[in-house]
Amino acid sequence: MSHVWTGEGPRGRRRSDRLQVGLVILILLAIEFYLRPSLIEGPGMPDFLLLTLVLLAIRTGPGKAAVIGLVLGLVMDVLTPARFGANMLAHVLVGWSAAAGRAVFFPDNLLVNAGLFFLATWVRNLLVLVLAGTSWAALGAEALMWAPLQGLTTAMVGVVIVLLFRDWLAIRIER
Amino acid sequence: MRDRGGHGAARRDAFLLAICAGLALIALAMPRVWSASLVASVRRSVLRPLVAIQGRAEQDRTARFSLAAIQFSRDSLAQIVLAGDAVRQENENLRELVGLRARVTRPYVAAEVLHRPTPTDARMLLLGDGQARGIEAFDPVVTAEGLVGYVWNAGPHSAAALTWQHPEFRASAVTGDGRVLGMISPLTSGENGQVVLQLRGVALRDSLALGTLVYTAGLGGVYPRGIPIGSVESMELDVLGFERVYRVLPLVNPGMVTHVIVITTPRDSVFLPLPGASARR
Repeated sequence: MSHVWTGEGPRGRRRSDRLQVGLVILILLAIEFYLRPSLIEGPGMPDFLLLTLVLLAIRTGPGKAAVIGLVLGLVMDVLTPARFGANMLAHVLVGWSAAAGRAVFFPDNLLVNAGLFFLATWVRNLLVLVLAGTSWAALGAEALMWAPLQGLTTAMVGVVIVLLFRDWLAIRIER
Repeated sequence: MRDRGGHGAARRDAFLLAICAGLALIALAMPRVWSASLVASVRRSVLRPLVAIQGRAEQDRTARFSLAAIQFSRDSLAQIVLAGDAVRQENENLRELVGLRARVTRPYVAAEVLHRPTPTDARMLLLGDGQARGIEAFDPVVTAEGLVGYVWNAGPHSAAALTWQHPEFRASAVTGDGRVLGMISPLTSGENGQVVLQLRGVALRDSLALGTLVYTAGLGGVYPRGIPIGSVESMELDVLGFERVYRVLPLVNPGMVTHVIVITTPRDSVFLPLPGASARR
């Protein structure tokens, strides 16, 4: 059945894939900049920009993921410029690692995806704090309390996003 | 052929990583003045829609969840204002009798805080208003409880505020009775990594009781005198033994602040009486 011509060539299919991924990114941006702030605020909230980065990173190559990380890091650095460049470097490294890690793990398991979201958030938070010149005591508190909490919420939301949009994001989940 | 393609892709990925990491490192090493102007220009151009959307979201959340609290505090304030009318009139009459000028009022702008879910959010807050409403760099940022920080840079419709949690934060401070002066700076406490403040530069002959409130001293030209900062929690030992160092528990947690007041007046000529001074007399 897969050989039946559907009237849509590879180029058309690629374009519709891009549109679907673009739509998911738009939804995540809308949640990040409107829905979440209009409902709840406080430490440990899920980070939808990081989620966007990881979701895109596991679909693309490490180089492109690094570029996406640079752009998203720039957005974060502009919005919270505690140490300009810290978010950029942290997101470049996280994006590149998430994409390169596909060779090591198989992102077709929901738990693996959740673990990836958790780890990405945890590592990103610590990297940003280290680059921003945080003291070791504050780093310990972040590593043990706030970063795991945010990692957990981001992972939970990420799993829901993957389940909802797995076809659009071309993420195959093993049952 | 496939291997060659794989090598080519790996080389391209490594090249892109090197470029991106290099750009990020350049940004990290950039002088503060350059990064501030870059941040301001990106925020007022490309990211302006995102800031506006988040500002709208904050307003919606306030309307949805804080309306009852706002109405309650407005009613309470109305009562206080009504009760204070007679005292204000009396004060004006007395000033006229003594020949004093009218009391200096400090114009201000109320702004929403647009929090971001990043670990450094409490160090630098994004405010939903900017130069269009009179906010400029170095304007003090406060809440009803006390000092938050100052405006680091301001764009037309948004501004970034550096809070007391930022490692570069400094403010001259004074106790309520005006007796002890010092310099306030952030301190990472050892217990749970919580950031508090420290009051340095206090002479060895001066000692402060626990719970003493500390205010801005009005020196330095940024903060007006009399803004509450925090209360003395404990005394730390200075390693060299040249001064007393006090740990100060701040009155405001920047990570939880939703609305702030930005004081927009020229600052270093404004002196308010410290609350403790009248009690002392």
